[in-house]
Amino acid sequence: MLMRMLRKDWLRNKSISAALLVFISLSALLASSGANMIAELSSSLGALFAKSGVPHYVQMHAGEVDRAAIDRWAQGNELVRRHQAAEMIKVEDAHLVLGDGAAPGSGGIMDHYFVKQNRSFDLLLDLDSQPVQVKRGEIAVPVYYKQRDGLEIGDKIRIAAPGFAMELRIADFVRDAQMNPSIIHSKRFVVYDADFARLSGSGAGEREYLLEFQLTDPGKLGEFRTAYEASNLPKLGPAIDHTLFRTLNALTDGLLAAVILLVSFLIGTIALLCLRFTILAAIEEDYREIGVMKAIGISSKHIRKLYLAKYVLTAAVASVIGYAASLLLHPLFTRNIMLYIGKAPKGLVLQLVPVAAAAFTFAIVIAFCMLTLRRFDRISAVEALRSGAAGEGRPPGTKPALHRNRTLSVPVFLAVKDIVGRFKMYRMLLLVFIISSFIMLVPVNFFHTVQSPGFNNYMGIERSDLRIDLQHAGSAGDDYRSIVAQLENDNDVEKYAAVLVSSFKTVGDDGTLENMTVEVGDFAAFPLEYMQGSAPSRADEIALSYLNGKEMEKKVGDPVRLIVDGREITLKVSGIYQDVTNGGRTAKAALPVRLDTVLRYEIAVDLKPGADVADKRDRYAQAMHPAKVTDLAGYMAQTFGNTLEQLKLVTRVATVVALLVSALITALFVKMAVAKDAGQIAIMKSIGFSMLHVRIQYVTKALLVLVAGIAVGTVLSNTAGPSAAGVAMSFMGAARIKFAIDPLQAYVLYPALLLAAVTVTALVSLASIRKVKMSEMNAT
Amino acid sequence: MGVLLEAKELSKSYASGPNDGQQVLKKVNLQIRKGEFIAVMGPSGSGKSTLLFNLSGMDRASSGSVTFGGEDICSFSEKRLSELRLTKMGFIFQHIHLLKNLSLLDNIVLSAYLAKRSSRKSINARALEYMRKSGIDELAGKSITQASGGQLQRVAICRALINQPEIVFGDEPTGALNSKSAGEIMDLLADINEAGTTILLVTHDVKVAAKTERILFMLDGSLVAERNLGKYRKGKGDVKAREEDLAGWLANLGL
Repeated sequence: MLMRMLRKDWLRNKSISAALLVFISLSALLASSGANMIAELSSSLGALFAKSGVPHYVQMHAGEVDRAAIDRWAQGNELVRRHQAAEMIKVEDAHLVLGDGAAPGSGGIMDHYFVKQNRSFDLLLDLDSQPVQVKRGEIAVPVYYKQRDGLEIGDKIRIAAPGFAMELRIADFVRDAQMNPSIIHSKRFVVYDADFARLSGSGAGEREYLLEFQLTDPGKLGEFRTAYEASNLPKLGPAIDHTLFRTLNALTDGLLAAVILLVSFLIGTIALLCLRFTILAAIEEDYREIGVMKAIGISSKHIRKLYLAKYVLTAAVASVIGYAASLLLHPLFTRNIMLYIGKAPKGLVLQLVPVAAAAFTFAIVIAFCMLTLRRFDRISAVEALRSGAAGEGRPPGTKPALHRNRTLSVPVFLAVKDIVGRFKMYRMLLLVFIISSFIMLVPVNFFHTVQSPGFNNYMGIERSDLRIDLQHAGSAGDDYRSIVAQLENDNDVEKYAAVLVSSFKTVGDDGTLENMTVEVGDFAAFPLEYMQGSAPSRADEIALSYLNGKEMEKKVGDPVRLIVDGREITLKVSGIYQDVTNGGRTAKAALPVRLDTVLRYEIAVDLKPGADVADKRDRYAQAMHPAKVTDLAGYMAQTFGNTLEQLKLVTRVATVVALLVSALITALFVKMAVAKDAGQIAIMKSIGFSMLHVRIQYVTKALLVLVAGIAVGTVLSNTAGPSAAGVAMSFMGAARIKFAIDPLQAYVLYPALLLAAVTVTALVSLASIRKVKMSEMNAT
Repeated sequence: MGVLLEAKELSKSYASGPNDGQQVLKKVNLQIRKGEFIAVMGPSGSGKSTLLFNLSGMDRASSGSVTFGGEDICSFSEKRLSELRLTKMGFIFQHIHLLKNLSLLDNIVLSAYLAKRSSRKSINARALEYMRKSGIDELAGKSITQASGGQLQRVAICRALINQPEIVFGDEPTGALNSKSAGEIMDLLADINEAGTTILLVTHDVKVAAKTERILFMLDGSLVAERNLGKYRKGKGDVKAREEDLAGWLANLGL
């Protein structure tokens, strides 16, 4: 009997039941997908780190090292389990050709390190997550280039330095636990030992080292770091630890999973709103029957069970559909994880995560149903039998009055009046439109922000037409002076400012010394937007990046102790800025610099109006070799390459979901409204309203609510949206994101998409008004 | 007087619904001249309301024709039919059928605002004048829940008249009212007819029909008899004589 009742109920409310099914399915699908991504990311990352034997602490060093001294120090330190000094040859971009049809200098902003496979740990893995093995004449290329340049096995990589040439065939791709993410500007290429020896001895590139340590107890990383920094071991370069590797590797896909879960939550909210609406409509419709059941002695609990059965079945079917669909979409969402991190066998617990997410959706829906169905307790049998309808509470008011209106056309006026008079009915539609606009606009705005030139503010770099990066090695000092001279003599240059990036030691409150990368130079010419305070303008001031400030627990006005030229000085924090580069830990100050502590030179250049930036970039790249010359857009595109791709995917998914949800809810709402208002529509038709008049009225209702929804959704996405993005980005070093909104997209294009989707759906759904017969007027 | 509305061989049968396959109107021929006051009588299910719906273009005939002002409205598009109902026809229903969320005055001005044939200001003035004549002007801003059945039917009559139509159709306009209210409504309709508006109404009440001039009798979808009361004085004069005449006529028809 129950099945018969359910079938009858489904047939009676086909559209609303279908919409409910779709919303719960979508919510379960996204919850399942998001949870599955996190499970996949966690297990894959764990497997990658385990398989590659990622070091716990890495000190990069530009220059030669004394291996014996390192061995002695490591052997004498009980925290060290194993260590190695991995040699790398840095090949200049201008000397490198990536791919058959490419030109020299196509590598972009990345530092290209040629290495041989390590023996015991920090293994570079292939796409099957096995240690890469290459033969003579072969090379394994980072997956970053596979994705960015579409390189394939068999393509050629050429090194063409003065007096040296080498051609290598791509035999494999490299998953590098340390340097996988595009946000890390170093990439390792694996070559055969003999090829490496030839390259190493040729002088075609600078030699650098990764001094890597695996600890006996990773929990004592802080203790080890202090010991290393206090030692005399090489430190000409940044030091990184395994927690940062994990964060940076997980960042792109973790963000995507978080966004998917957020969208799932929002769709789930829509499903619950829709459910409440459905239940209340069902109660209204069956009011008299409920009264009869109560009158003949059936308890509220039993009546509730009858209704609950329908929703339990709908939610169960929807959750299963959602889960099944999430398995189909899984390859799409985990495409990036599979390429960069690889697949790992998942244990039973992780296999169950997506099932649990779908089951959680189911449980929430049922709990909500039970809460809403408690309304049955309030229905009095006598009242239900007497009136036969739950009614709409107070009769609708007569205001606003048509006879006082001078401007609105009759259909538009009636639409406005209906919304005012029955706002409770439109509230759900409004909420759904607000959520849809939010879901759509936040990713769009965030995507545009990351792409915008103003994103430099979150990268700790000043906005300029061109950016020249020069690593400090060999004759870099001379190269630097030559570059400055060229800029001085170039009439196209409006202004330039150089920053020297050096490593200094800070003195902690407990006297411990730690390395800090400090940019030293002129910060007035190219101003940066500060979160708090301003750029250092005096010699005793320092500005800290957000993450540095947070970790050092410093705010504007606080003192920072620094060792400069062997003596301790105290600087005052002048400002806090956002920076997602260098692991988010940088500083800016006007300090005296010793050339032997310089890590790199960064020069910002603005050209005069009318100068061709692209042309100048190419000319400088040739003339200023080995410096890297990029325009800001290129710099960002290369840094955020796959993050942008993932964000684009999120934007598209969110847009499709928002449009789908809006269209569905509009169809559902219009159909219900037409069914409910059939008698009133018949009256209107009888007194001369044409179909067009009725259509205009109902489409106007949907559009007015949509416009209000878009307006509120836009305000929310501009206020709560940046905060949400800030929470996500704070892990990277930018906590206060201000959306760079493309007005055309955010205020015209995407709202127009929503408007079009809702208008078309409303018009299609209004086809049923043709069926409203004037002879049915007694239905009112 | 010229012919305003004419039905020729008008038939209607339903393909689906409760009257599935049944021929509700059978080759009805009818001429209505301008200024006439006509009642259609007949037992329940005889096709009275269906005739009214087909003559007013609210429903489409299965065969035959309906001409209004010389034009065959059966060939009109839905849009033209809407225009016709809006500008040239008025309707009064048994169950009143006002829009629930509008005030009484707004219900009256609604179709005139839609027709846009005069300014909203002058429409308001005209509506209030009709309300005054109908004795309900004090209810202008009230909602439909604040008026009695008789008062609401007066509002419906004012709404039917607001666009100064050529013909007013009434489907049992007094069916839901008590006899006092019904008498008042019929007096009002008689005044309207006196002013020149053609009225065609459906009723099964002899007292109501007796206030009109021409009575048509329907049986099983056909017009079977007709009685003209033109020989009596119009309005409130000769009421008794009219009712007796009609009752006698119906008795002769075997009803």
